[in-house]
Amino acid sequence: MSVTEYDVIIIGAGVAGLTAGAFLAGRGFKVALVTSGEPTACLSTGCIDVCSRDHNPLLGIKELPPAHPFHLVPEQTIRESLNNFQAAMMDMGIPYAGALTENRFVLSALGTFKTSCLVPSTMKAAPQDTKDSIHIISFRGLKDFYPSYIISRRKNTKFSVYDAGVSSTMGIASHFEEKEFLESFIVWLKGQNIDEDKIAFPAVLGLESAAEIVKTIATRVGKPVFEIPTIPPSMPGRRLFNALKDYFRKKGGTIYWAWPVVGIEKAGRLIEAVVTQSEGRPNSLNARAFILATGSFVGGGLVAGRETITENIFNLPVHVPGPRETWFDNDYFSFNHGIGKAGIMVDSSLRPAGTPWENIFVCGGILADTEILKNGCGHGLAMATAHVAAKSCMEYIR
Amino acid sequence: MNFEHCIRCTICVENCPVLRVNPDFPGPKQAGPDAQRFRSDREKAEDKWVLLCSQCKRCEMACPCGVEPAQIILRAQQRYGLEHPLSPAHLLFANNYYLSTLGSLTAPLANRIAATKVGKKIFSAMGIATYIPFPKFRFRTLRQEKKTRSRRSRKVAFFYGCFINFYRPDIGRKIIQLLKSFKVDVVLPPQWCCGLPALGNGNLALARSFALKNTASLSNYIDAGYDILYSCTSCGLCLLHDYQGILEIPQAKKITENTYDLHEYILRLVDDNYIKPQFQEVPRKLAYHIPCHLRALGIGYPAAKLMSLIPGLTCEILDDTCCGLSGSYGFKKSNESTAIQIGNRAVAVIKKTGAGAIVADCGSCRMQLGGLSGLATLDPAEVISEALGITLEKKRKS
Repeated sequence: MSVTEYDVIIIGAGVAGLTAGAFLAGRGFKVALVTSGEPTACLSTGCIDVCSRDHNPLLGIKELPPAHPFHLVPEQTIRESLNNFQAAMMDMGIPYAGALTENRFVLSALGTFKTSCLVPSTMKAAPQDTKDSIHIISFRGLKDFYPSYIISRRKNTKFSVYDAGVSSTMGIASHFEEKEFLESFIVWLKGQNIDEDKIAFPAVLGLESAAEIVKTIATRVGKPVFEIPTIPPSMPGRRLFNALKDYFRKKGGTIYWAWPVVGIEKAGRLIEAVVTQSEGRPNSLNARAFILATGSFVGGGLVAGRETITENIFNLPVHVPGPRETWFDNDYFSFNHGIGKAGIMVDSSLRPAGTPWENIFVCGGILADTEILKNGCGHGLAMATAHVAAKSCMEYIR
Repeated sequence: MNFEHCIRCTICVENCPVLRVNPDFPGPKQAGPDAQRFRSDREKAEDKWVLLCSQCKRCEMACPCGVEPAQIILRAQQRYGLEHPLSPAHLLFANNYYLSTLGSLTAPLANRIAATKVGKKIFSAMGIATYIPFPKFRFRTLRQEKKTRSRRSRKVAFFYGCFINFYRPDIGRKIIQLLKSFKVDVVLPPQWCCGLPALGNGNLALARSFALKNTASLSNYIDAGYDILYSCTSCGLCLLHDYQGILEIPQAKKITENTYDLHEYILRLVDDNYIKPQFQEVPRKLAYHIPCHLRALGIGYPAAKLMSLIPGLTCEILDDTCCGLSGSYGFKKSNESTAIQIGNRAVAVIKKTGAGAIVADCGSCRMQLGGLSGLATLDPAEVISEALGITLEKKRKS
């Protein structure tokens, strides 16, 4: 009897890793997830972008270049992955609004619109056009959220400032979790006699029970209320991560925090174990299959050197989009930085292409040719490819 | 020190339990890597707020870039302690080991005084919080146990730590029984406080002197073929991490390589087929509060793995909340409100599970959570002993 042996080990605690993990653990497999830190999902807006190229994400996906990994996911699996996600989040108390056939808008902190597919219920009431008049509530001392940016872009928009007694995002969000604070805030808000159609907040309305808090404020004030995603610390991103993590655990998965993988044990065409570094001595974790979901550059899955890009866990070949001078466009805000195409090439079962490995499956942001920023396909692609990887993994193990 | 690797993503900020409740603490990012750029050896330290950090290390576990904010802050705390006179409470808790030695020698008297109103007033005057009762000293400490030796192939030297020795020697005795039932020889090597309380109260020199004595003692046992075991996860973290790190103990690497968490060691025995534990049914529902320092050890949750083998036991893992006490941190009047607020959040999460009792490896976590929730608290070793039918009475009969 070995207690440190698993059916599947997942490397990476982002949306892809946790989704694949919950899928497999929910089907009775022994799953462990190792991660060296918390994922970039925490920094995200919490919105699930599937594809922003068309108003209908499914049509948008069809327009993606042939090399895009979305083409490896059957449409049915894309539907399944989003349905599973919505059901899971409902279960965890952070419901998501939206449908796969229709993108929607989220008002940004700059007053622009961000296109997304599924949005947290706290952003559901965001205006979908320029008609609604909006009243923004900000908080004294809160950094990096300036209602004037939004007002400069929108007519019929006003703002008020509330003094929460603290000024950090975490501090304000914590306060909203307290009943007395919420109550006195609502009393203040009612006293503002707001005329506008909708009330907007930076996304600081609680951490654990944001959906409830937004609902309470909206009911008591009698107007639609919505959150505007902020730059990190991003509460909606943290809520998403916490919910995915708790859901994975609920399904029976095990998480090893702060276990950077420093080596592998292999035999023939199989990976037998990953070796992780902990204080004092390395630890091996054995499994029959491995899912690599370590993300792209910021997540740490890909590492760029001067001329090369490497994947440092299995040392998989990385698709590099030409010499270094083609990696970056001169315009910083351009969507056409070549480096957005870097990543791991895979076959239809999401095994890494051009390698002997039978039991590695790759999903999420580390895949090649995703161009996530350009195509607006971050978390949606992660979930869809996680489902494909998990299914291939299941098929392989059986 | 790799503070320059910080990309300012604020994931650490989201994980800081102190920042959530105490706006005076600027958070791990600002107190750590951000402030580090402005710290100069030629100027006196003026960053008193570094003392508000409880050293839970959650920031280090979360950082995706390998920066160690808590380490940076720990060094700043030592420097501040060196350059400024600290409060009497800091001085007392740094010397907790000597104080406890005195306390256990005069146990009946010391306990009685500590429980009286006058005693509490004295504590209060010294800046010591009394919202949870101070743990009771035991006259018969663990180090007075008789030595037993036989010729078994597995032998360990048990670093029991101050908490077990002075306050809960019964748990120590149970652990010894448990190991003996697994055919493991146990000795109690000469030992002192691990040094963490001194470090946590800004007394680097005292911490170092403890560490040097322990290293000399434990090193002899390692040379004689013993593995070192700890059961207090904070002692463990100090032995494994701080001896080689901030304390710069010459033989620290040897200690690190040969020191194991109790349950990690038992799991190895199971994996090596050295033992096949036959657990009896324990029909209980427990909430396993993961101590922050167990997380920080990077060994996974070995006790959770072991307890998962016990039939009838449901044990919900809770690793998102800090208990707030952090050893002597919460016992200081200046941190009292912070510690209570953090602790109550953890208690709310525990109560939500509907568990009948709390399990935690760390004595100070148990003190805090038991005190704030009114629930019974257990060391995982007690649960495992129960499942194996090990009781201390049984030992006395035989």
